[in-house]
Formats: sequence, C-alpha cells, structure tokens
Amino acid sequence: MRTKLLTSLAIGVLGLLVGLWLVRPPATRANGDKHEEKGGHAHVPAPLEYADVHVPLSVWTDPAMIARGKEIYTVRCAVCHGDQGDGKGPAGVALPLKPPDFRDKDGVAEMRDNYWFWRVSEGGQVDPFKGKGSAMPPWKSELSVEDRWAVMAYQHTYSGHSGPHVPWEHPESVAMGRDIFAMACVPCHGVAGKGDGSVGAMLAPRRAPQPRDFTGGEFKFRSTPSGQLPTTADLFRTLTEGVRSSGGPMTIGLRGHRIMPGFEYMPVQQRLEVLEYVKSLNRGFWERGAVKTVTVPVPPTLTPKRLTRGKQLYADAECLACHGERGGGDGPSAATLKDNRSLPIAATDLTRPERFKNGARPEDVYRTLVTGLAGTPMPSYGDSLEPDQAWDLVYYVLSLSRERGRAAEVGTR
Amino acid sequence: MRRLLTLLALVAIAGVVGGSPATADEAPISGTVKAIDAAGKTLTLQTVSKGKTRDVTIVLKPESKIVKFVRPPDPGKAGFVEQALSLSDIRLGWILSVTTRHEGDKEVADVVKVVLEQ
Repeated sequence: MRTKLLTSLAIGVLGLLVGLWLVRPPATRANGDKHEEKGGHAHVPAPLEYADVHVPLSVWTDPAMIARGKEIYTVRCAVCHGDQGDGKGPAGVALPLKPPDFRDKDGVAEMRDNYWFWRVSEGGQVDPFKGKGSAMPPWKSELSVEDRWAVMAYQHTYSGHSGPHVPWEHPESVAMGRDIFAMACVPCHGVAGKGDGSVGAMLAPRRAPQPRDFTGGEFKFRSTPSGQLPTTADLFRTLTEGVRSSGGPMTIGLRGHRIMPGFEYMPVQQRLEVLEYVKSLNRGFWERGAVKTVTVPVPPTLTPKRLTRGKQLYADAECLACHGERGGGDGPSAATLKDNRSLPIAATDLTRPERFKNGARPEDVYRTLVTGLAGTPMPSYGDSLEPDQAWDLVYYVLSLSRERGRAAEVGTR
Repeated sequence: MRRLLTLLALVAIAGVVGGSPATADEAPISGTVKAIDAAGKTLTLQTVSKGKTRDVTIVLKPESKIVKFVRPPDPGKAGFVEQALSLSDIRLGWILSVTTRHEGDKEVADVVKVVLEQ
C-alpha cells in the first residue's frame, strides 16, 4: 500500500518536473530571448510621421514594381529573410529575433501597409523593435520610397495574396481599432461610421454640428488644403482634444462645452488603432497619393498695428456677414446659414474662444482660416490671404473675446 | 523500489536544472560592432535586450570562425555560400550575430556571422 502511494507520488513529481521543463521560459543571454521571437513582430501602429504613407493600390500588383522589388530583395534582404521569404536566410537564422515568415498569410494580413513601410524604413532602430534587439537595418537612406514600396510588393507575393494589401482586403489588420470603435464611437458615429449613431442626433437636435460621416470626403478639422482628406495627425488631434461646441441635452456630461469628448486618457496606441480603422472606412486615404499639409508659420509678435490691419481684413473678407461686427455670431447672414446636410448651422461666436470647434490657440485659428471647415459655410482663405495677413486676422479674431481683448490691449498674447 | 524512485526524481531535477545553461548557449548574441581589438583578438558588440543597451566583449580564439554569406560564384546556383573572413575584415558599425560559449567569465566566439555590412 505504502509502496503504491510512493510510486504514484514519484510519478506525479516526475510528471510535474517534466512538464515544467517543457513549458519553462527559455534562458536568456545577452539578447537571445527566445520567447520574444514572435512578440518581437507584434504589429503595433505606425507612428504619426508614417501613418499617412499608404502604398498606392496599383503597386501591389504591378509586375514591373514586383520585379524591381525582387531585384532589391535578392541583393539586400534575402540573406536574412531567405530566398523563399520564410525568414530562414543564412544570416537570419542566426539572429535572436528571427525575421518574419512572409509566407504566413495571417501574419502578413495583420500588417498594415504603413506599419510595413515604417519597418522597412526604420528597421530595428526604433522602439519597440530596438528594445527587442532587432538587427533589421534601416533602409530609408539607401532605398527611395518607390524602391521600398517595390520591395514590399515583392515580399507580399510570398503570402499568396494577389490583390492590393489594404484593410478592405484584410479586415484583420484593423480588428483592434474596430473593437475600440464599437465601444467608444458607434453611439454617435454609427456602426458603419456614417455619422448616424442613435445618440448622435440628440447631441444637437435638428441642427449642425452632427457626428462626422467617415465614409464621406468632408472632414472639418484638417491641416490639409481645402477639399482634401485630413492627415492622421489631424484625426489624432480631434480624437484627443474632442470638438468644442455648445451641445444639446446629451452633452451634459461634457459640461456643454464639447459636442465630442476628448479621448486624451485613451492610450496613444489605442487612439492610433481606432484611427486606422476610421481611415479604413474611406478608400480615399489610400487613393490620394502624397499628402500635402498647410504649414503654420511661427506666430509673429502681436502689435497694435496687427490688430488694426486684422480689423480691416475682418471687414474686407466679409467675416462680419456671418460672425457679426463684434464677432458675436450674429451677422446679417447668420440666421440663414446651413451645412452640407442642409441643417441650420450657427456662425461661431468669436467672443467665446472656448467654443471654437477647431481650437482657440493662435495656430488653431490660423489653420481654420487657411483650410476652412469642410461641409460648413466657413470657407478657406488659403488662396486669398498671405501668411502675415492671416496672422493679423487671427489676432483680431482672438481679440474679440473680452479676455483676449484685454491681453491684446497690453500687447501680449 | 524506493531507491529507484528517489534516483529517478534526482535525475529529473538534475536534468531540469542542468538543462538551462545548455539551452542558453545556443542563443546567439547580435549587435553592432562598437570596437575591435586586433591585438587582443576581441570585438565589442553593442546589444539591446528588453530595452537596455549594453556592450558585450567577445573573445576570438584560433578555432573561432568568422563568415559572411555571399551568392555562389556560379550564376546558375541559388542560395548563399559562406565566405571566410578574418578579424581584420570586420568594420565598426557592422551588424554581427555570434554564437558563443562561456569560458570562465568570457564569451568565446564559436561562429561570427556577418548580418549586415554598413
């Protein structure tokens, strides 16, 4: 009886030890942390400076680009990534953080094009990959943008996918953003992001502003010229800071000063993920090519002369027709203003900068003047005002609020 | 019977404890060449692990191999072949991957592989 018990106990202990031996984390040395091999290729969002670099759709299937990519890949990449794209090149197998297997359909499908471009450009020199000991060299100084696209197009062929590498072909690449969107954005922006969520209409009943339709081409808050889609950084700013406005009954929680809450407490990575999903709702982000942005110059010093010139421009540019002579939003045209959905829209009360939808910092007002607010009667003055004139107008607009006005009188910002 | 079981358990424990360093020795060290001491037959690699950068000095012995991978001279052949190098061929800034073994507190190179010449 006792022997049987001891035998069972010994077998149990032995089984436990063998089990522990099998599942134990591997030992680590200088940087050979084997359990990070897969985690090292975690597809984190590309940083903002790379977020707008979307590969033109035609590149993925263009035989000439694929051939160009193959030529570069064979010389520069295959030694690590392998001639078969399996990550088993002779130099790659010796690395602690193994190169990815491009034949892994699922792994490739999860990679967004801007992430891929970022990795090829910066290699393992940026976090989180640097911290994982990635030996991937940065290619941005050796390969042109087109060469990097070509290499990606060739690498993409290993996955067996024959279409363009875009979110509507690979919904899994924006799955995390979609989940965050479902939790945080659907009530206002709707399931399909068309701005038709059930709560949206109650934010400002039967009047503008209404939640944005992400599938359309009109985005109010941009640093891009009139008529263009915003940059990811623009969307990030709006998401982070929210949208100021006098809201309806459903904005009580936002103290009536915001029609859209700011998500500054959401982790940056999650904000970037949700924006990648939002962009995936509009193919225009992939079709627009290189992104041009409006440069906001360094604000000049505020002087009384600037205010005088700004006041004249305010009249000349007919700002007072909507915003009123004293900026109270009560100009002669104010009552008739409508947005692109034919909903009545109020002219912004310029005496209350805390309600400026696009922000009330001088650079915010400058950007609004130069880019306009798409979908609203607020036009772009980008073509009609010189930067210096725009600053004059910015300072005059900001001086219309009592508080700003006082600051302007003493010559400070 | 009892003795046999005790022996089995001891063997298992020894296997688990002793197995760790053996596995660790297989993991290569990779990094950028920061210093080369031709006289001392060492090279220093700057490595990064878990967000921390540190320098590792590798000792080269006569039996240590240094190789880079090149395409075969015969254009009809695919793949790569090893090309032997010496320590004097290595340049600062190159990325290497090195398999090593411990000898006392030293990391002695078995094979040094050139990942990238830059």
